[in-house]
Amino acid sequence: MSFYDKVLYSDQVGDYFAETDMKRQIDHQTKFVAFIMGGPASYSDDMLRRVHARFEISRADFDEVATLLRTTLEEFDIERDDIDTIMYEIESRSPVIISG
Amino acid sequence: MTMNLEAFNRLLLELIGVGLAVFNAKTYEMIVSNPLFAEWFPLPENGPRKLTDIVPAIDPDKLGEKDDRFSTEVEVKVKRRTLTIAVKISLTRTIGPDGSDEEKALLVECNNITKVKELEYMIESYSELVEKNERQLRREKERAENLLLNVMPKAVYEELKDYGVITPTRYDKVSVLMLDFVAFTEMTISSDPTQLVSELNDIFTSFDRIVEQFGCERIKTISDAYMAVSGMPEANPDHAHNIACAAILFRRYIRERNRSSQVSWQCRIGVATGPVIGSMIGVQKYVYDIFGPGVNLAARMEALSDPMEITLCESTADIIGQDFNLENAGEAEVKGFGTQKLFKLPREAEQRSRRDLPNYLH
Repeated sequence: MSFYDKVLYSDQVGDYFAETDMKRQIDHQTKFVAFIMGGPASYSDDMLRRVHARFEISRADFDEVATLLRTTLEEFDIERDDIDTIMYEIESRSPVIISG
Repeated sequence: MTMNLEAFNRLLLELIGVGLAVFNAKTYEMIVSNPLFAEWFPLPENGPRKLTDIVPAIDPDKLGEKDDRFSTEVEVKVKRRTLTIAVKISLTRTIGPDGSDEEKALLVECNNITKVKELEYMIESYSELVEKNERQLRREKERAENLLLNVMPKAVYEELKDYGVITPTRYDKVSVLMLDFVAFTEMTISSDPTQLVSELNDIFTSFDRIVEQFGCERIKTISDAYMAVSGMPEANPDHAHNIACAAILFRRYIRERNRSSQVSWQCRIGVATGPVIGSMIGVQKYVYDIFGPGVNLAARMEALSDPMEITLCESTADIIGQDFNLENAGEAEVKGFGTQKLFKLPREAEQRSRRDLPNYLH
């Protein structure tokens, strides 16, 4: 079961995504992961803060999604180093994403 | 060995993830469905399930007339998950229970294509990124290229691009033009410097066009001085002729311009033919430049010009004397070159070119 399924079935965070336009969500996540892996996209902290603010995301919510992402990446046999890089980059943005 | 065919089929259907249902072709009410179909399209609380509730896009009147098949995509929500379901509806004709009458039913096949869709979105998003990046790189490259083309001739740039270096090269049959403005320094003090520089920019831009028109190359400008060359990097048998034409047009342009401009520009032009060496100079801040007797002599000719005059050295005059009515200007002692015969290119109105000088110069 891939990441979007996991997130949506999660009781902790699923409701946040219930009304999400998946096409846009996938677009953002593709670009975001490309960005933190050094790809051709950019997301400033300001931008991340702005788009997440209205959800009042808690530390527990953040950790849940991060864990689901890590599990998914592991399931797809992504290189350990790459997973660590992605998770590190995501964790470093927790202060701007968590607001609840 | 026996096996429960029905159970096997059910398992198979669930495994390959096809939602199946049969609907009455007249009433659009569901007759039967498999569990997966029921999961995606749960029974409504009141009344039977109608096909038109599931696929609003279906036009009951059209189906069965021309197209016996109808394909579409619908979105359903299972728990929080929005699934994209590909729906194929086909009209099937069955033999009625009594063996004679034909009954019509609609077979509805559904595939969960959510993952395919999501993958498509992802690829779309990524290729968009890559394309955008490529566009940016291309723009950057063009900008860098244009910048480099400002400091070196195109042929030299091509050499730099292909080999990474530019070998200093000697060119023997080259004519050089040097131009500067009389009392430019005083002008910058007496007039508005910003306006003056903007006018100079205007003038040099027009010179660039003239230079290009005659297949010459602008080598550089230093303050109010402008240097152009013909016959290099690509050899051109008409180098002296072309540079003379450029000189005439430069002067003519200035004269025309002065008629409508507040600032009156007075140029001196020197033209010489002689060997030069072209080379890239500098490592971090590099520029293409030319050196040698041809350059020095052109500079001396320019210094010997009166305002709005074009002075040629003998080597240039020898080549173009046939084509232009040159004016003999006597001799002068030229530093580094000894005694030199001088020639002037008179006002183009007095010119009678015997060669292919453009009409507007006559």
